[in-house]
Order: sequence, then structure tokens, then C-alpha cells
Amino acid sequence: MKPLKLLALIIIPLGIILAAVPADKTKRFRLSADELLQEAGAGAQFISPDVIADMLVQKDPSLQLIDVRTPEEFEAFSLPGAINIPLSNLLSDEFTDILNQDARTNVFYSNGSVTANEAWMLTRQMGYKNNFVLEGGLNYWFGNILSAQAPSQTSPNEEFAKYDFRKSASAALGGGGVVAAEGAATAPKAAKPAVASKAKKKPAGGC
Amino acid sequence: MGPLAPNGIISENTNFLLAFFIGIAFGWVLESSGFSSSRKLAGIFYGYDTVVLKVFFTGAITCMIGLLFMSLFGWIDLDLVYVNPTYLTSAIVGGVVMGAGFIMGGFCPGTSFTGAAIGKIDGMVFILGLFIGIYAFAFTYPLWEKMYMAKYLGEPKISQSLGMKDGLFGLLLILVALGMFAVAEWAERKFPREEY
Repeated sequence: MKPLKLLALIIIPLGIILAAVPADKTKRFRLSADELLQEAGAGAQFISPDVIADMLVQKDPSLQLIDVRTPEEFEAFSLPGAINIPLSNLLSDEFTDILNQDARTNVFYSNGSVTANEAWMLTRQMGYKNNFVLEGGLNYWFGNILSAQAPSQTSPNEEFAKYDFRKSASAALGGGGVVAAEGAATAPKAAKPAVASKAKKKPAGGC
Repeated sequence: MGPLAPNGIISENTNFLLAFFIGIAFGWVLESSGFSSSRKLAGIFYGYDTVVLKVFFTGAITCMIGLLFMSLFGWIDLDLVYVNPTYLTSAIVGGVVMGAGFIMGGFCPGTSFTGAAIGKIDGMVFILGLFIGIYAFAFTYPLWEKMYMAKYLGEPKISQSLGMKDGLFGLLLILVALGMFAVAEWAERKFPREEY
């Protein structure tokens, strides 16, 4: 056989395979540092606690709260329906299904928002979507949702509406004014008694 | 996952060491396939010997198929592979200058070194000319800078500007290459030259 024919016999089938393979399979998604910085700077990953509280009260099935603190902290207290994925285990294979999906809204939370934001950056860097961060973390949650402070008499109406909502949400979510006020300083441990018994009936799904 | 150097799998120095050995292997292959004869390179311009075209295009095609398959298997991240940025004007001018030099000298930079390595005087003279050219360009660079930097296009891929998948373009390029090889072999029969 002539060399040219032999060469054609080898490389044409290879070329056909390459042409037939879906293009996006040959490319690995990854955000450049610039793109990530822009997204992080825009702050679109943050979801306000009021929105989360509303979703919790409505029992919105698309909400998936993810606690990125340590298992001990998660045991001590967690938000209703939250699952625990400690930041150090975030990239392990067993959680890929939970983090890389487009059906539910994943919301990371930690005591502040730093650890949760780290989790968001990591998953974003992997190219995962639908992951968000609870703005202000549990500290803000306790200080403002579970122990909402009545606005001063001169406040605009929106403030009162917000206060009313927070108060009713707090009641629905089992927050107690006194306990939570204490919790604002050292969020999870101090807050244990009031919410934990009710919230921790079942860590849904996941681990 | 590759590429090895940008991902820190091998160090910069190991990279240079590997380049050193690959370079020696490249030179050895060039020499053993007869590329250190200047007639080989000149032959492509007259049609009597098209080995250069076939060798380098086969090399490019092999590399392309390898990269696309390795990317398909997840062994290499093509986004991290270095692509020479395109400056259109200097690409065209440089192509003309290089082409003229190849015909006149009968060597390309690589083959001139293999020629010199086996003691060919024309190879050594070509290397001398190469360095004169490099220094002349470097010292008069301000004169050329504007043209050198003109028409910057970034790092475009032909497949992107045609709006097709890399794989489909790969198949087309394979077909084009095979067609070119057929034409080249026809040219070799049409313009034969004895004893070169």
C-alpha cells in the first residue's frame, strides 16, 4: 500500500471521531482570576437573610442550605433543613452532586460570611452554578432575623414592614428574642437551646 | 493534568532540560532524514522534492490530533497551552522574509544547525547570516517597532473565526493536508530532478 493511502486510512477516521465528539466535552470550564474577581466584587453571590427567612417560612423546596462550618458546630446548631459540608471537605467527590447541579438554590452559610464566601469562590472556580452565600452569616441572622429590633418611631414604613416580617419569621422559625440577642455576639453556641431542638429534626439529604 | 509547566507539575528547569533533549532528538531526526542538505529545502520551491512540506505538515497534523484527543480525555487543558499572539503585518512580512531566505540559503534555522553539525560550510555560513540578521534587527528595532506591533489580533484560532468546532476544523485540516500531499507527490513526478 502506498504510504499516502496508509496515512489517510489512519488519520481520516481519527479526524471523523474528533469532528463527531460534542465540542464542550473537550473543554474544561474554569474562571480566570479576573473574571472571578469581578464576580466577587459585584457581590451577586450574596442572598439577604430576609429572602432566606421567607423561603424557609414558605418551605421553598428549591432552597438547599449548606452549613460549611465544622461538624461539631453543625451539631450544636444549624438552620432548618441545612446539610453539613465542612469547608475542608468541599471538594470531595461525594458532594459534587449537591454542589454541581442546576435544580436547587444552594446557600452556603457560616458564622460570619467569610468561610461561606470561600466555599462560594471555590465552587465558582470549579464552574458550578446556583451556589450562593447567606449575607452576614449566622451572626447577622441572630442579630436581625431572630431578634429583630423595633425601629424607632420616626422610621419609614418599609422599616416597620421589615420588622413585622422578621418578627413573624422569627416566631415561625422558633427564634426567641432573649436567646437570640445573646447569640448575636457568639452566634452558634449561645443560640443552641431555642432553635436546635426544633430545627435539627432531620438533616435532610447529603451526608 | 497538563500542560506540565504552567500547572507546576514539572519545574521550569526540568522543562528546559526536557527541551534540551527534545531539541537534540529533533536535530537527529532532521539530519537522519536528509534535511541537512540544502537541496531538500530548496526542492519544495521547485517541486522536485516535497519532503519538507510532508514532514512538517504531518508533524502539525499529528500534534493537532494528539492535543484534541488528550483534551477529550481530560489529560490537558487547552486553555493553558501557550499560543503565539498574532500580529498580522509582521506575520506576513516575516513570512516573506523567511521564505526568501529559505530559497536563497537552502536552510531553515533548524536544518542549518544540523548541516553545520555534520561539517557543512554552507550551513555554518547560514548560521552566521542568521546571527547578523538577528543583531541587525535588534539594533534597528525602533525603526520597525510600529510595523512589528501593527494589526494585533490576540490569539485567534481559525476554528473560532470560522465559527466551527475545533474537531470539525481538525477533520477539514486533515483532508486539506492529504490533498496537499497528493498534489506534492504529483509535483515530484512532474518536475523530477536527477542526482541532487
